[in-house]
Amino acid sequence: MRRRDLFISSLAALALLAGACGGGSSGNNNNAQKTVGGVLTIDNESGALWQCDFNPYNGSVNGQSFGVLYEPLVYDNLLNDKKTPWLASDYQWSTDNKTLTFTIRSGVKWTDGQPFTAADVVFSFALLKQHPEADLQSDWQVIQSVIQQGDDKVAFTFNQSAVPNFYQIAGQTAIVPQHIWSAFKDPAAQVVKDPVGTGPFTMSACTGQNITYKRNPNYWQKGLPYLDTVNYPAFLDNDPANAFLAAGQAQWGGQFIPNIDTYYVAKDPKNNHYWFPPIDNINVWFNTTLAPLNNKAVRQAIAYSIDRPSVSQKGEFGYEPPGNQTGVLSPTFDSWIDKAQADTYGYKFDVAKAQGLLQQAGFTKGSSGIFQDSSGKKLSLSIINIAGYTDWVASVQVIQDNLKQVGIELKPVNLEATAYFDKLFTGNFELAYGSVNTSPGPSPYYELRNTLHSATTAAIGQTAAGDYGRYKNPALDALFDQYGGTTDPAKQHDLIKQVEKIMLEDVPVIPVTEGVAWYQYSTKDFAGWPTKDDPFAAPAPWNLPDWEVTLLHVYKKS
Amino acid sequence: MSYLVRRLEFFVITLWAALTINFILPRIMPGNPAQAMIVRFHGRVSPEAVKAIEVAFGLHSHESIFQQYLEYLRNTLTGNFGTSVTFFPVPVGDVIKQGLPWTLGLVGMATIIAFVLGTLLGMLSAWRRGGFFDAVLPPVFIVISAFPYFWLGLLVLLAFALTLGWFPLGFAYDLTDSINLSWSFVGQVIWHGFLPALTIVVTSIGGWILTMRNTMITTLAEDYVKMARAKGLSPIRIMLMYAGRNAILPNLTGFAMSLGFVISGAILVEIVFNYPGLGFTLLQAVHSEDYALMQTLFLMLTSAVLVAVLAADLLTALLDPRTREQG
Repeated sequence: MRRRDLFISSLAALALLAGACGGGSSGNNNNAQKTVGGVLTIDNESGALWQCDFNPYNGSVNGQSFGVLYEPLVYDNLLNDKKTPWLASDYQWSTDNKTLTFTIRSGVKWTDGQPFTAADVVFSFALLKQHPEADLQSDWQVIQSVIQQGDDKVAFTFNQSAVPNFYQIAGQTAIVPQHIWSAFKDPAAQVVKDPVGTGPFTMSACTGQNITYKRNPNYWQKGLPYLDTVNYPAFLDNDPANAFLAAGQAQWGGQFIPNIDTYYVAKDPKNNHYWFPPIDNINVWFNTTLAPLNNKAVRQAIAYSIDRPSVSQKGEFGYEPPGNQTGVLSPTFDSWIDKAQADTYGYKFDVAKAQGLLQQAGFTKGSSGIFQDSSGKKLSLSIINIAGYTDWVASVQVIQDNLKQVGIELKPVNLEATAYFDKLFTGNFELAYGSVNTSPGPSPYYELRNTLHSATTAAIGQTAAGDYGRYKNPALDALFDQYGGTTDPAKQHDLIKQVEKIMLEDVPVIPVTEGVAWYQYSTKDFAGWPTKDDPFAAPAPWNLPDWEVTLLHVYKKS
Repeated sequence: MSYLVRRLEFFVITLWAALTINFILPRIMPGNPAQAMIVRFHGRVSPEAVKAIEVAFGLHSHESIFQQYLEYLRNTLTGNFGTSVTFFPVPVGDVIKQGLPWTLGLVGMATIIAFVLGTLLGMLSAWRRGGFFDAVLPPVFIVISAFPYFWLGLLVLLAFALTLGWFPLGFAYDLTDSINLSWSFVGQVIWHGFLPALTIVVTSIGGWILTMRNTMITTLAEDYVKMARAKGLSPIRIMLMYAGRNAILPNLTGFAMSLGFVISGAILVEIVFNYPGLGFTLLQAVHSEDYALMQTLFLMLTSAVLVAVLAADLLTALLDPRTREQG
């Protein structure tokens, strides 16, 4: 999980008082032979006891089944868009990018011994069409038909060029066995106690406290997985989960740990590691339907009034890096960033520049030190935020202080989470602090589109799926739509660069910091973890289906 | 008899009021369960998934609020509590079944131990007024019960589980075990429950000691106690049967109330010790705006308190004839 109330995370502070406990360390053995065996324990705040329901089409429990039990057609790495054929051994786009044909892998067996076939794939997608509530990725918004061709081919036709939807359809949709699921009348609400999948593990025992996964000896990737057993305990809150991880009782963590260097790494500096790859932007959103926020100059001025590195350091302890105005995550998607363009604008904390922009826009500094418009109305804005996310609250305090130096008054409104989301989605705010809340994708396209494309927005008062600021720019929409019609990486990069240009010039939102995937791992007994240098999978246990790929790589050191 | 009828009337009216408030309150909260779901997943579900979830939850029903209320009353009376949204698609009854035994076991036992121990200690310190017991126990426990529970719980966990490793870091039994009826399992449950129970007892015992001690001191000055002493009864008998029996009444009502609140669990205990009880479920139901689960838990909570208060009233009537008389 991501960010938590620091009051609740006081265990770490107590640990500091009591002094760090010693931890044993063993020698690193990188050339160890990878043999089968070992019991790995995952440590991830789930916020609930397990319900022992292994239904990949139920959004509240799919985190315990999609990946290790049920697999996608292609594994598409969230961090770098590297595609690995999975249940499909190959795929082919038609020239107009409106038909996608998969070759289904042969020799794959369901864990009950039945063969996996192209019919299972067609069945799975037909099921989602029939039951939109099970279609968690909204695949059928773009799919027109799914047809089996010959023994081992499945052709998807789309009502528009659907290149970016590959990630959801091939990479994020679980394939289920027809011979079992055809009996389920209501697939989204089906409780699946005895899952049958194609994955590297089988579910062997489940209580409210813990799920035990056992190695699937007949897995189609021969010799894999290395691990014999994976335990997944249910943690109600961060503190117990962090204590469990720090005590060395679990080896793979996925939540926020305050003072991680002292609380976790120092317990075993040789073996305890972390890596926090950025996966989304935390923005200042403008309600672009309101004056003066509909004025580009005001938005630009605010962008020059925020000291992003300082927000990152003071608000986020430096764990979440500063964002940049192109809206492209760095370093995750560095190859997409148009550095020259970004440098031309050079967005950084620049009081003189911000004040100059406001003066050009007709604002004058009043006696109180706050700018006012020609009618004498003060440039005073409110910003909604989530009271429980203490790091965000601290971040906005830094921004408030920055803006004050320029001469803009910012009034934080810290709300209970549900009230905050209600206002955010319905556009009932002046400024808002937060991320776009959509599932991230393997290139900057996904987040930027959901943040800015007018198709994702809604009228004020209605729930918007994205673009909470109600920003409308037909030229920008067209860029995203063109991206959807090309598989050419050069063209895709070019299109995203044009999007960056609009981000820099028009400032529809201000990316302030970058949200990260929290990930801690211990190399004491296990090796093969994803790292910054070898990002073969998005590394948190809650990255689906990436956690499967991590569990396929990790092995017990002999 | 008329006393009993009056108590029952009051009970029924309060229960109805509680049921109605229980229905209204969750619906006044801002947002809806699907939005709450996004919060719970920290933004890790897509709006598309939320839309799918909303349909699956049946959130777009067009029944009027009054129809929903009648439906709710009928379902409640027939024991049909609906489906939990938080744990979709698990029925509310199953969710509660999972947590109830642990909460009753842990919080219930701890409450009883605290009450019995606290009452006895209160009695003793009043009996030996000014003695060592009286000088040390009440102040010490009053100070401890003033500690924020969270802080004390974390401290205990840090010292005995994380640093010394004498006790496990949470859970109700060994992680990889499943519920069974062996001695080793019982041992695990006690071992896992020790620290949470200890912290509950230590933080709640002060109140029992103080109330008991103060009432007992008043009682000790009563004529019937002097009479008993004059008759030469044994001090133990006087302490327990004459002074104690009469002084226990306020504590007994308090005990009944606290038994009622056992259902709500000890939210903080369960969070700190990662204990699989109902308290955390309740918190989660509120966070997730899980109407069905919330209503059922609050219903259990209010009914338990009402029943406990009724039982305490009846018991008091039994112990103290004065309360039975018409005013």
